[in-house]
Amino acid sequence: MKKLLKRVFFVEILKALKLVFAHYFVKEVTLQYPHEKNIFPDTHRGALCLLKYESGEERCVGCDLCEAACPSNCITVVSAVEEKDHVVRRFATDFDIDITKCVFCGFCVEACPVNALGMTKMYEFSTPNKRDLIFDKTKLYDVGEKWYGQAKGYLVAHNQEGEDEIVSEYRYRFPSSRKPENVVETDG
Amino acid sequence: MSSVGKQSAAPDAVKKLVEITINGEVVTAEENSSLFNAVKLTGVELPAMCYHYSFSPFGSCGLCLVEVEGKKNNVRACTAKVLEGMVVSTGTDKMVEARKGAVEKHLKTHPLDCPVCDKDGQCELQDMAYDLEVYDIAEGKRKQIPEDTRSTVLDFNMERCILCGQCINVCKEVQLVDALCFYKKDKQKHVGAHGGEELYCEFCGDCLAVCPVGAIVSKFSKFTFKPWQLKKTETTCSFCSDGCSITLETTQKDIQVVTSELSYTSKFGFDVEPGDGHGGICVRGRFGFDYVMSNERLSQPITKINGKFEPVSWFNALMEIGKRLKSIKEVHGGKSIAALVSGRCTNESVYLFQRLMRSVLETNNIDTAARYGHMNSVLAMQEALKIGKGTVTHQELALSDAILIIGSNLTETNPITALRPKASMTEFGGKLMVADTSKTNMLNLATLPLQIGLNSESLFIQGLIKSVIEQEFVDSEFLENYPEAYDALKNAVALISESLITEQTGLEWEKITETAEALAHSKRGVLLWGEGIISKPGAYDNVLLLIDLALLTGLIRKEGAGLFPICEENNEQGAVDMGGVPEFLPGQIPFSSEEDRKRFSSTWHTTLPEPSADALGLTLPEIIEAAHRGEIHALYVVGENPLASLPAEMKVREALEKIDLIICQDPFLTETGEMADYVLPASVFAENEGSYTNVAGAVNRVSEAFDPRGEARPDWKIFTDLSKHLGHPIQYRSVEEIYQEIVKMVPGYFRGNKPIAQADNYLNKRFIENISDRYAVHSETSQSDPPTTLSLEQVLYHSGKLTTRDKQLMEIDSKTALKISEADAEALGGLVTGDPVNIKSDLGQLEVAVEVSENLPKGLVQFPLHFNDPPLKDLLKVEIDPLSKVIYFKKGSVTLERPANLDLKVIETKSETTEDSEPEAVKDEEAS
Amino acid sequence: MAVETPETREDKKTLPLLKTEELLLNLGPQHPSTHGVLKVILTLEGEKVVKSEPVLGFLHRGVEKIAETITYNQFIPHTDRLDYVCAMYNNFAYVRAVEKFLNITIPERAEYLRTIVAEVQRIIGHLFWLGTQALDIGAMTVFFYTFREREALLDLFVELCGARLTTSWYRVGGVERDFTPKFIEGLYQFIETFHTKIEEYDTLLINNRIWLARTKDIAIISGEDAVNYGLSGSVLRGSGVDYDLRKVSPYGAYDKVEWTVPLGKKGDTYDRYWIRMEEMRESTKIIKQCLDQLPEEGGYKAYLPKVVAPDKERVFTDMESMIYQFKLYSDGFKVPEGDIYCGTEAHKGELGFYIVSQGGGKPYRLKIRAPSFIHMGAFDFMSKGYMIADVITIFGTYDIVMGECDR
Repeated sequence: MKKLLKRVFFVEILKALKLVFAHYFVKEVTLQYPHEKNIFPDTHRGALCLLKYESGEERCVGCDLCEAACPSNCITVVSAVEEKDHVVRRFATDFDIDITKCVFCGFCVEACPVNALGMTKMYEFSTPNKRDLIFDKTKLYDVGEKWYGQAKGYLVAHNQEGEDEIVSEYRYRFPSSRKPENVVETDG
Repeated sequence: MSSVGKQSAAPDAVKKLVEITINGEVVTAEENSSLFNAVKLTGVELPAMCYHYSFSPFGSCGLCLVEVEGKKNNVRACTAKVLEGMVVSTGTDKMVEARKGAVEKHLKTHPLDCPVCDKDGQCELQDMAYDLEVYDIAEGKRKQIPEDTRSTVLDFNMERCILCGQCINVCKEVQLVDALCFYKKDKQKHVGAHGGEELYCEFCGDCLAVCPVGAIVSKFSKFTFKPWQLKKTETTCSFCSDGCSITLETTQKDIQVVTSELSYTSKFGFDVEPGDGHGGICVRGRFGFDYVMSNERLSQPITKINGKFEPVSWFNALMEIGKRLKSIKEVHGGKSIAALVSGRCTNESVYLFQRLMRSVLETNNIDTAARYGHMNSVLAMQEALKIGKGTVTHQELALSDAILIIGSNLTETNPITALRPKASMTEFGGKLMVADTSKTNMLNLATLPLQIGLNSESLFIQGLIKSVIEQEFVDSEFLENYPEAYDALKNAVALISESLITEQTGLEWEKITETAEALAHSKRGVLLWGEGIISKPGAYDNVLLLIDLALLTGLIRKEGAGLFPICEENNEQGAVDMGGVPEFLPGQIPFSSEEDRKRFSSTWHTTLPEPSADALGLTLPEIIEAAHRGEIHALYVVGENPLASLPAEMKVREALEKIDLIICQDPFLTETGEMADYVLPASVFAENEGSYTNVAGAVNRVSEAFDPRGEARPDWKIFTDLSKHLGHPIQYRSVEEIYQEIVKMVPGYFRGNKPIAQADNYLNKRFIENISDRYAVHSETSQSDPPTTLSLEQVLYHSGKLTTRDKQLMEIDSKTALKISEADAEALGGLVTGDPVNIKSDLGQLEVAVEVSENLPKGLVQFPLHFNDPPLKDLLKVEIDPLSKVIYFKKGSVTLERPANLDLKVIETKSETTEDSEPEAVKDEEAS
Repeated sequence: MAVETPETREDKKTLPLLKTEELLLNLGPQHPSTHGVLKVILTLEGEKVVKSEPVLGFLHRGVEKIAETITYNQFIPHTDRLDYVCAMYNNFAYVRAVEKFLNITIPERAEYLRTIVAEVQRIIGHLFWLGTQALDIGAMTVFFYTFREREALLDLFVELCGARLTTSWYRVGGVERDFTPKFIEGLYQFIETFHTKIEEYDTLLINNRIWLARTKDIAIISGEDAVNYGLSGSVLRGSGVDYDLRKVSPYGAYDKVEWTVPLGKKGDTYDRYWIRMEEMRESTKIIKQCLDQLPEEGGYKAYLPKVVAPDKERVFTDMESMIYQFKLYSDGFKVPEGDIYCGTEAHKGELGFYIVSQGGGKPYRLKIRAPSFIHMGAFDFMSKGYMIADVITIFGTYDIVMGECDR
């Protein structure tokens, strides 16, 4: 009987309507995207960037481990030799990240033995020209310079880097190259 | 039998076997051999960082530790000797810990260089640390040694060095060069040149290859790659005729580094048979890859319009060439077309080219670079033995017990072949006899060095034959089968007096007897000859003399013994085998044989040109003569450069000017190319598929590492396309199809079947007929004051003219100095290295810097034939062999004169070696 | 088309006026209710389904083949893209398989972290399913409400690992990053209010007559048939088969907390809906208990130098850490020769990885047992005899995701 009444008076529908109307008075959760933007935590995995030391020196030594670690083969590093102040150094002449291929997994950042790579909160890549989506070395350093704070935050949040003072000790130093002197020959 | 360690005795030496217990298993092993090898044979893999199968155990790394019952301390398996009743255990925890400790020791002092180290990813120290789970090691102190970057090729980073000594051992025991050693500086052990000097050696780079860490790195590919970026292509080296297999490691279209079998991954030598060699390559193969990526490479076809080169499309170029060749053929006949093909083209290219020439253009005027010398060996051996190539493999060469090297500076021309006689001498106890006019590297190493007088090679060989006959060392089978030949020979050599031989060769008769005895009594004796025999007038006869000697001592019939003729370019042998000469169809089948011509023409669906009564076809010197007479209207040059190779006396330029149409197909714009009407960009070995035939007759695969640069095309594609425009399409879709056709037409060629010598015809007929001529005594050289002989020589760092386009090899060596003996330098008023000298002949006079060398005899001067600056070749007279048509121009008489104004110029002119090191030293001093 | 002959023409005359024949209908692949790009060829008799033939492979990316060319670690981001709705669980299933192969154990804390996140992911998966299933059937409001909650959880994922969907948070030997206080706080907040949200969905659906009409007695499958067809997860349990890998062969921290496995009676779509609602409640319970019990010690990743990359700080200072960093990221860790299968109870069913290794740093073969794919095998059986409109419901009832199905 009760069942029949419920069925006749659409009780469950009315209850549902009540719930729905009640939501008119709840604060809205939708974000009006282009006008409002989400605030991301430091961990956010956005555009990749290359970082420099405080002195302005490039952190990247062109070791290419990021290329090996990348699961989607989107990184290309070309390294070369450079001689400066009797120190022969390795550096990346080309560092291209194909953002169209990148899966934003952050493995390259984890792999980097000098913490030269970082991830920012930048996520808007739309462009009329697909070529723009291949980030070259200059662009990556530009992003790194512009969003240094974010990249740094990312590295700290993902246990890649400690505080600044300690970091300066980690800095990779190249072996110097000089002519040996005072030679004494020993038996082979 | 598989070998897992350095062989210390000849293959037939008696070994004493004893029983030992390894991990509870009873094994038999050779007494007093390395315990490491015995353990290896049981299948237990002991880690070892300082071990390599090609040299004796060194025992520096301390990883191959084992426990031996009755010994308190751990034993290094590699240096321990196998003794009767040993009880050995390898896998105990104690051993594992001890091995970890050994790696830890190295890691403690190692710098954190992995990101910038070239060895990262293929580093044995990394592998060991990972495999042995070395972790949480104690703090260590870095060595703080700056990198030594003084050498042109190799950088030494002693901070990374683990002092395993492999580089030193491979240099000393395999290469017999001994350029490296340990030295002490600031209380720390270093590796480098003796006395800590700047390293200048053969730069074979084997030390680089065996280095398990990044202590030795190449300057040319420093910091440019990581192993996971590289694509590996196994192919064959394109320089000398050794035919070493190399691995090109490439990114996109750049060769980053060239490696070979020799590396730490192959150090245990599984599957290595005795005499297989250590897998290394030489300086040219390892560092001479830059020319592939040279900017001078032609990127598209060019044609000469009004005396200037203009680019043209492939289609138009080939169409016009086709049209013009067709009309020349119609107007003047096929005989007015000639072709030259390089000894650097693949077998498939040469085969296709000669097919194009013979079947489509109906000409037999085709010749190859073998005409500069190697044809002497081929034709003489064909004449006497019916075999047109060497009869000994590289492995047999290493295992032979007596080797006579005559007229070959083997370490400079064929450095890897040179390792085989070295191994035969040091590893297998063979006897090495080297006869040469100058003190070559081989001669200095030899067990019996025989420095002979200038131009006395033939007398020396005759002396050996005389000695063999007189001492009655003659092979019994020879005596039995060819008594007539023996009698004739005996009579002939009896006329040559002992005193003349000793006087001319400058050797004591005992030494000649000793050599003859060693060869005659050997089980696996080898005769090896090279450019000193084949590029000198009388070469054909001299090769025949050598064959006589081999027949007489039975080297031809013995297993593992025989003849080893050396040729210059990588595929000279293959070019001859593939019919790149007028004498032969593919497979060295005589062109004169009508039956065989028919066989080929039916396969090619054409008629082949009929040989005329006097000649089969024109050879290289005849082509040039005919061009002078205006009989040649078209010349197709593939990779050859006669203008730069031949001396001025040949008047090649005038000859070429008379030719209506010259087509030059080459990766570079050569001197000949500049005179051509069309220059077609060809591909180089790294962009080709195919095969090369090496000096020992083995066929090696060539693989494509990347597509040709620019619009360049592989040879076979150009030829097939051209054949379409000639109205006679040759249809091949790939190199594979050409290969299949060669397999069909020349059965067994790629399998390297050993042909059987057939000397009956020769020994019973021609041998006896003109024996008196060949064994006539030449006494022309007995002048009171002989003129100086100028000899154009190959140098180690270069191969032909090709490597002069290679920046890296030019950086290592671009010396254009005339080597003169100390005696000559003294006679010219005390010349020192770097001084200029006037060199004169009937054909002209040039000034050139000298380099005083202690290895040359008086009266001999040498100049690298790779360089034309100054063009010393133009001073030399040309002689053409009447039989083999080989052009002799590499040796000739000159006179040296001290320049009048020398004293003023001494300081200004310096040879390039001193120039190189000087400014750097100054710079470094400023730095420190 | 048959050739017209006098005989057939003769037949035509005798045919009745109303012609009936089976209709072949292509549903999908571009139909919004097909959850991606699924195509089904339906043979209809009127509105009734006689036969249905799913056509798969529109989203095939060769993931299994890719796995053979990259190291074990590098494959983790690729698993994100299998069931792209629930990346965490794919990660979990994969790393569990590799860990089983390597025979390694991970710290207890890491097990708890993994369990918590897996259950959060299960809630997300079920929310997503509920929203889309209701939307397919016609109830749009539910979709908005479930996505509201899902969004809150995805925000927590960003806080945790930096990405909403392509998480790659699990690692062989542990997880990428520890929980932050902010994450734990957020999760507590969520589970405190989540039961009220579930009640809201119930209000909207559980007694709704349209919902009942569309789900009750639709696509019934008996327990025996379900087992025979290899179904798993809530589809299997909806038919009353008590099989949950979390109970049967416990992993993570599932055996350390109290929870029950809800079971259906009839095996129809409504039962499966009810089970998923119950599972969300159970998941909340599991998360709550795990968060309470979360051990402080142990760390978030195992200390296994040969498998787990060293801490970054040590890479800068230790030689051996530097070496391991390079070895692990370039060659990857070596897995012993052999093969292994490891199944994990993902929210869709049993997600299994079968790995064959020849001893190198890369798998020789990797096969993914994707529940969506297996479930599609039963599609013909379950849709036979139902109306064409029910086909949409049946798609939804499996909770298929084509990324996983086609791989």
